[in-house]
Amino acid sequence: MLPVSYYLIVSAIVFCIGIYGVMTLRSGIMIMMCVELMLNAANINLIAFASHFNQVNGHVFVLFSIALAAAEAAIGFAILMSIFRSKENVNIDNINILRW
Amino acid sequence: MDSVLSLILFIPLIGAALTLFTKTRESARMIALIGSAVPLIFTVMIYLQFDSTKAFLVFQSVEKFSWISNLGINYYLGVDGVSMPLILLNAILCPLTVIYAWGENKQPNQFFALLLVLQAGVFGVFMALDFFLFYIFWELTLIPLYFLISIWGGPNKDYAAIKFFIYTHVASLVMLLGIFALYFSTGVNTFEIPVLLEAFAGITSPEMRVAIFLALFFGFLVKMPTVPFHTWLPDAHVEAPTAGSVLLAGVLLKMGGYGLFRVLLPMIEGLGPYRSDIITLMAVLAVVSILYATFLALAQKDLKKMVAYSSVAHMGYVMLGAAAFNFMSVSGAMFQQFSHGLITAVLFMSVGVIQHSVHTRIISDLGGLADRMPKLAFLMMAGFMASLGLPAMSGFVAEFLVLTGSYLTLPVFALLAMLGIVATAGYHLWAMQRAMFGSYNEKLGEPHDLAFYEMIPMAILVLLIILFGVYPGPVMDVFEYASKIIPGVM
Amino acid sequence: MDFGTLAFLIPTLPVIAFVLTLAFGNKLQSRAGYISIVAIALSFLISVLIFLQIYPHGTVEQSAHWFSVLNVGIFIDPLAIVMLLMVTFVSLLIHIYALGYMSHDPGKTRYFAETALFTAAMLGVILADNILQFFIAWELVGLCSYLLIGFWFRKPSAAAAAKKAFLTTRVGDVLFLAGIVILYFNMYTHVLPEVGGHGTVYLLQFKTIFEHLTLIPTDQLTIITLLFFGGAVGKSGQFPLHVWLPDAMEGPTTVSALIHAATMVTAGVYLVARTFPMFIAAPESLIIVALIGGFTALFASTMGLVMNDIKRVLAFSTISQLGYMMMGLGVGAIIGAEAVGFAMFHLINHAFFKACLFLCAGSVIHAVGTNDLREMGGLFGKMKITATTMLFSSLALAGIGIPVSIGAIKLGTSGFVSKDAIILEGAYSYLHFGGAYGSLIFFFGVAAALLTSIYTFRLWFMAFTGKPRQERHAHESPLSMTVPLMILAVLALVFGALTFSPFIHYLETTYENEFFEEIDPNGYIHGLAERGGYHIPEEPIVHLDLAHDTLIMMLPVIAGLLGFIISWAIYHKRLFSVASIGNMRNPLFRILAKRYYQHEIFIELISLKFTYGVLALTGEFIDRKIVDGIIDGISSFIIGGAEVLKKIQTGVVQNYATATVLGVALIALVLSWGVI
Repeated sequence: MLPVSYYLIVSAIVFCIGIYGVMTLRSGIMIMMCVELMLNAANINLIAFASHFNQVNGHVFVLFSIALAAAEAAIGFAILMSIFRSKENVNIDNINILRW
Repeated sequence: MDSVLSLILFIPLIGAALTLFTKTRESARMIALIGSAVPLIFTVMIYLQFDSTKAFLVFQSVEKFSWISNLGINYYLGVDGVSMPLILLNAILCPLTVIYAWGENKQPNQFFALLLVLQAGVFGVFMALDFFLFYIFWELTLIPLYFLISIWGGPNKDYAAIKFFIYTHVASLVMLLGIFALYFSTGVNTFEIPVLLEAFAGITSPEMRVAIFLALFFGFLVKMPTVPFHTWLPDAHVEAPTAGSVLLAGVLLKMGGYGLFRVLLPMIEGLGPYRSDIITLMAVLAVVSILYATFLALAQKDLKKMVAYSSVAHMGYVMLGAAAFNFMSVSGAMFQQFSHGLITAVLFMSVGVIQHSVHTRIISDLGGLADRMPKLAFLMMAGFMASLGLPAMSGFVAEFLVLTGSYLTLPVFALLAMLGIVATAGYHLWAMQRAMFGSYNEKLGEPHDLAFYEMIPMAILVLLIILFGVYPGPVMDVFEYASKIIPGVM
Repeated sequence: MDFGTLAFLIPTLPVIAFVLTLAFGNKLQSRAGYISIVAIALSFLISVLIFLQIYPHGTVEQSAHWFSVLNVGIFIDPLAIVMLLMVTFVSLLIHIYALGYMSHDPGKTRYFAETALFTAAMLGVILADNILQFFIAWELVGLCSYLLIGFWFRKPSAAAAAKKAFLTTRVGDVLFLAGIVILYFNMYTHVLPEVGGHGTVYLLQFKTIFEHLTLIPTDQLTIITLLFFGGAVGKSGQFPLHVWLPDAMEGPTTVSALIHAATMVTAGVYLVARTFPMFIAAPESLIIVALIGGFTALFASTMGLVMNDIKRVLAFSTISQLGYMMMGLGVGAIIGAEAVGFAMFHLINHAFFKACLFLCAGSVIHAVGTNDLREMGGLFGKMKITATTMLFSSLALAGIGIPVSIGAIKLGTSGFVSKDAIILEGAYSYLHFGGAYGSLIFFFGVAAALLTSIYTFRLWFMAFTGKPRQERHAHESPLSMTVPLMILAVLALVFGALTFSPFIHYLETTYENEFFEEIDPNGYIHGLAERGGYHIPEEPIVHLDLAHDTLIMMLPVIAGLLGFIISWAIYHKRLFSVASIGNMRNPLFRILAKRYYQHEIFIELISLKFTYGVLALTGEFIDRKIVDGIIDGISSFIIGGAEVLKKIQTGVVQNYATATVLGVALIALVLSWGVI
């Protein structure tokens, strides 16, 4: 059995990829996907610790989190769809009307 | 009648609620008149029963209920010689203002409701004997006036309303800090004003006492207002509707002076080594207010602004009398509050009538109004004469006592204050000459003279001014007894 | 019946008349004046009854608590009763005259209401038993003068003159008020411990002050009396606060007559007379009174020489005559309480002849419709009564008479008798006993007498003799106007001659009666004079003898006659023309015609340039730019700071995410720092 730290390293790598993507990418869809990556990195953490400590709490949380991620993706993509309808692209540099 | 003070306090509030829900102008102003006039009946009633001989910090008609008991906050009302005449002033002035505003057309139900809330707030300040309650009412008075200015105000109303609100609100926050400091450093676990005042001298650090004193002082100073914290007042007055100006100058400013007498003067003896410095500070501020505001009034082109500056100057006498700290000057200063409330109301009402009928207040645009508006000319002349301190009118009684009393303890300041008297006469007469006399300026159109509802309150006020100028006894005696009992007063 | 109990009615009746006239005047229209006339007639009647009751030595004293440490009261002594009689009587005649004079004016109800109040206020001044009440009535006199001078308020010049009168006298009033305040301070610190506690005595009551005068330090007394005199300077039009009086002509002529003869300007003289014990106990004060009075007498008469407005000439003559009265009081430094008698005697006589002169002037103006002397002339034939009465009163003003007396009766017009007394028995005695600046004061008196005579007859000759210089048909005034003229003219001629010695003797008892003897048995005024550093000789009045002191005695007479001759020569016979010197190219004439540039100095320099231009506008600038600028500065600093900081809010979600990540990383670093 692999030690838990291996899973954590994988999770951290995935999380960092997600953050990097959120911070640098311009396309709304790609950002959404990166956010999914970050969520899944957290899920990996939860599963890893659940099996390490032999408890089911982690599994339950992951199920919650997947459900939430699905809901979030649904709303997020819906927003992006409506943005695309009005602006013909989903480049978030154009979506900055919520400022001073 | 155990709860007569609460009746006086809440009838205007109930009236305000009822007024707000009326549909027509007629019913709104009628309910407002009843709501503001009924307290006058009760006030006169308790005034007649009032025992003026035990006047200061011995409270009558007391009501006390525990409110937030673990912090020592009570619903605690009562009157003594300092507050009783001011309650009477408020009770007189508010119904008269309602009558004066009889012709208000713009959202009359809200307008009259705000006037009533204002009245209730001022009553609360003058009655509250619990610092917490005092502060609540103190802040309550800001809200109606803010809306009166920002809805019914002149062209620059937003600036004036916000300036008024923030300026005085910052000052009250400093005062609140002072109240908390007083509460925590005395450790008496009560907000009752008499208890805290007694415990004040027991605070060990004299610096702390001075800090508390100055924090409270600042709150009152801005409200009075005293130079250099006065600039919100002219702006607020210029933009406020006439009824708002009347109450602002007539009773709201008096809250500052009231705080001075209620809270600060009993503390003065507790200031220890800093006593004389504080007295000097007060005297300097007073004399600067009197002279500076007088010369500024001379420079004004807007009649209403001139009257506003004259208010600042007259409130300077209140401060001077308080600083001189002997019974003549203090009772004179208290009487000045009462008298100025009546006089300034006449002045603002006169200016309001001019504004209403010829649509300008710029002195140089007016001229010869006495020709077309003889009734206004008569009442305005009476008000101006009272304001410049003509004997046989109430202002003179107050100013004479303040000056004579101040000379006993602060001779130099009293003489300096007198320098302003000629200039005071100067700007009043100058304005009178240019606005009322000379040939009529035909460009002003055909003005109407005073409407009946405008004349009644002004005439009543003028009669009261003369009455209290010739026979000040009923009010003066109360103040005199009150001021003789303040600790340390000679 | 004790008429003293009715004393309170004397000022109250005119006040009631004021209220009634205001309330019902519009219904009564032309009859409105009768209310005031009846009220003042009743006041006069009560005054006469009280006089008959208290003569030769008695007083009326009433007092009641007012409020705080103050009282209200009535005090009638010889000084007050003669003033009462004069004011009610002259005011009554002027009111009767005004019935005719004001009959065509639409504002006559307002006029009669205000003059009634004016009279009431003056009566209040006279009756006051304490200095504060005195001041209150004194200020009401000022108010009424403001209302009456500005009676024709539609005329801008009238409104300006009213304001000027009120403000100028207000300067004096503030000094007076300061005097009262300082007096109270001294009474409070020095006298109150002596008499023990409040409630038993009223510190500002005249009797209390006089009784304990010696307890007040003399340097304080000097300050107080000089401040009081400042008030008198304002009200009585003494230099340098006389500037309002000539402009006060803007009111109706009857108002001028009231102001100049019966009310208002005499109040200042009365103040000094009333508080004479304080003045004589104060070093230097009386000398300043005498100097200012003498100087004013001369100074004002120089301007009277060149005025062309008939009322203005009379106005300057009033200022000058008031100067004589002040001078008469001032020489009390040597002659003692007699000075009060001389000054008051001149005051009463002046009231008669000046009222008469003004009413005559009014009659003339009524007839010819102009104030300008240059447009009058040759009126004698058309207005015989007016011309004759005016001649009589002019003789009184110029002081024409013979310095001989038959028994107690002096031969001369009343103006002569009283002015002669001030110049010879007053100023000369003062000079004789070495009073400070004695010769200067004596010179003022004589020189002013000469000039007075010149301008008085210049006025008369220009108005009534020579060729008519205008077309308008002049006519004599109605009976209601001429009867008061005749009464006053007769009094102007004979009152002085008939009553001189009894009057002076009666007034002496003001400060020489049981009350004052109790305070100081060795002579109250003498005792105070020693405190003040004055030396009143045993026989303070030099009794001149025509045989030995011919020159001195003849001086005022010569001055008067010389003036008459000069005027006669220039303005009647026109022996030589004044045009060569009387034009604006002559600097002396210009300075007189410009009235010593007082308008330029007082109005333009002090009021407009300095007070308004410098003080007020600088204050306004400071207030707007600095005091309010700081407040606005604080708020704009906060608003400006927010403007800068809000740029952080870019609206790009990624920026927020980056900031969050960096923040988390920073926190993680800081936390792990401790671990490492």
